[in-house]
Amino acid sequence: MQLTEIFTESNTTILLLFLTPVIASILVTIFRQKRISEIVTVSSAFLILLQAFFIISRIINDKTMSAFGNTFYVDSLGAIILLPISLVGFVSALYSVNYMGRQFDNGMVDLKHITRYYQGFNVFLLAMLVVPIANNLGILWITVEATTLISVLLIMLYFKQNAIEAAWKYLIIATVGLSFALIGTTFFYYANINAGTSVDAMNWTEMIHNSKLFDPNLVKIAFVFILIGYGTKAGLAPMHTWLPDAHSEAPTPVSALLSGVLLNCALYGILRFHIISSYSIGSAFSSQLLIILAIISVGIAAASIYFQKDMKRMLAYSSVEHMGLVSLGIGFGGLLGIYGAILQIINHAIAKPMMFFVSGTISQKYETKAMSKITGIIKTMPITGALFLVGGLALVGMPPFNIFLSEFMILGSGFKSGQFLATSLVILFLIVTFAVFLRHLIRMVFGKPYTEMKTNEMGNLAVIPIVILGALVFILGVYVPEQLQTLVHDASTIVSQGGSP
Amino acid sequence: METIQPDILTISAAILLIATFGVVARRGFLDWLNAYRLQSVVLAGVTGIVGYVTGIWEIYIAAALTLVIKSVIIPKVLTYVTRRLEIEFKMETNPYVSLRTAVIISAFLVALSYFLIQQIPLKSDPVASTYLPVSVALFLIGLFVIVSRRAALSQVVGLLIIENGLFLFTLVLTHGVSLLIEMGIFADILVGIVISSILLFRISQTFDSLDIGKLENLRDD
Repeated sequence: MQLTEIFTESNTTILLLFLTPVIASILVTIFRQKRISEIVTVSSAFLILLQAFFIISRIINDKTMSAFGNTFYVDSLGAIILLPISLVGFVSALYSVNYMGRQFDNGMVDLKHITRYYQGFNVFLLAMLVVPIANNLGILWITVEATTLISVLLIMLYFKQNAIEAAWKYLIIATVGLSFALIGTTFFYYANINAGTSVDAMNWTEMIHNSKLFDPNLVKIAFVFILIGYGTKAGLAPMHTWLPDAHSEAPTPVSALLSGVLLNCALYGILRFHIISSYSIGSAFSSQLLIILAIISVGIAAASIYFQKDMKRMLAYSSVEHMGLVSLGIGFGGLLGIYGAILQIINHAIAKPMMFFVSGTISQKYETKAMSKITGIIKTMPITGALFLVGGLALVGMPPFNIFLSEFMILGSGFKSGQFLATSLVILFLIVTFAVFLRHLIRMVFGKPYTEMKTNEMGNLAVIPIVILGALVFILGVYVPEQLQTLVHDASTIVSQGGSP
Repeated sequence: METIQPDILTISAAILLIATFGVVARRGFLDWLNAYRLQSVVLAGVTGIVGYVTGIWEIYIAAALTLVIKSVIIPKVLTYVTRRLEIEFKMETNPYVSLRTAVIISAFLVALSYFLIQQIPLKSDPVASTYLPVSVALFLIGLFVIVSRRAALSQVVGLLIIENGLFLFTLVLTHGVSLLIEMGIFADILVGIVISSILLFRISQTFDSLDIGKLENLRDD
């Protein structure tokens, strides 16, 4: 093979995207200095953001892009996941500088931990970047499993009992869960071989091409395994039990990545197989399963938020709720439901990290995560307090913020497709969540501070990432840019019709 | 396709199951490791047989990797990281399900997996019909070991058994997915074992125990 054949334009684009975090983690390892690690990580995350925007704008025009002989394949659906990974990756890197810096100054972590943190952060980004770009479903599984392993390392960064307990539960539950996903993937691969594919039978594009020839019983069994497997990682109830522990005990920037991005990566796995299954045996089977899991998720989230005392755990359960809503939209189907679900993926990926950042800042200021001890944020930290209110209102689905729009579409599609019982149940759960969440929020933001505290923010780099995300929460609530509309529309066409738009 | 003596298939399948029962029926960590090592050696042999029957050379590489990684490196790593743990941490003294009951339940799980494989429309050549039920049995017993034990170490062993079952299942059903992907899966296991060992060590230090019944700080109440 000639060198020019390897370095075609799309190959180089993908290669550069993967190389950026690799080089960054190597640099962090070599220098082992706090300041250099911070600069390297932030600039690598920024470069990834630029490259992702470049790839996404290409996808909007050309619709698809494949590299290295179809091993990597990006379409609009992949681009939808790539967007939050790069965006949240960048703001998390920015937020890490302040957050980990403060932990360092307080003596919570030493230089060794800081180096380990930034190495892990970059490798974590790399693993997640591969997920939406891999066409080969085996590589998809390997990288999702790799994200588990790396995030376990990031969670157990602190030598605390709670963090270690959370990391252990997460490692065992997620690994066992993902083993189900591997069985499901094997079944699909087997069905594809039996349908007569000999080359690249593990590739998604080949599977979708041959899916009409699959054995229907095999597809049903396989999809159940996939749903249990990737569903565990996506935090769908009743397999969500690891999620509140892991998300609340991780360092805050990692919590933001786990909640805002990693859940979507797992959900993306389910989506890909949902498309194959719908194309092969009709969407009724997989949609029904998705709706059932979605109702359980929203219900359990509502009940857990009702009894919640810990701020970060409340946000984690809210992630369970939002993952449930996304699968609800996919399950209801129709262009409206799927459009709403995909918009919800993006909206949640913006609002949830914002709330985790705010809660991280708050818990550093108040030195607690218990909601009963946090009051009067608006007096102690005016900007952060206001943004906490905005993010909270967005999370419960208040207009004019972004999540209102997508939730409205999802629930609307439920009534449109005649699923009255499911939709009414979910609305009931949402109302409970709304009331409880709002009560906690208002008491924490307003109210009188228990102890006298100085009125000051926690540093510029703690505020800027939150302001960026807060602005997006507001903008996407009133106006969805045309490019994003095209992208979401193309992605929904892929989900609803299978194959290329 | 080459043919092969049915006796060899049956005997190797039986050894795989017996090694799994070695984990279920014993209390000590070193016993489990020995059982796992035996299982992995036989698994490598089975991989070789499948390679011989199908005539795909990549499967021989997978067999060699299995032999090296699973029967040498992983037991070595686990012995090394647990050498400083106290002896009582390495014993399953008080499982949620008593060992006697556990053996009976595992026997039922084996029967169940033969039943399940008959229900699913899969292929029925001699290699597949011998090993597929065994692979499902390994998977189910591994799951059972994880949920029925208290010692954190036995959860790691349970994961290893599950993984062996998965490997056998994938191999027999599809004659091995491509080598690249198998290497990736091997790498994931190895890193996973290393990480769980680090975690084990930290649990033993911070909790002064490896009883996962004590990991109950995090709950909603």
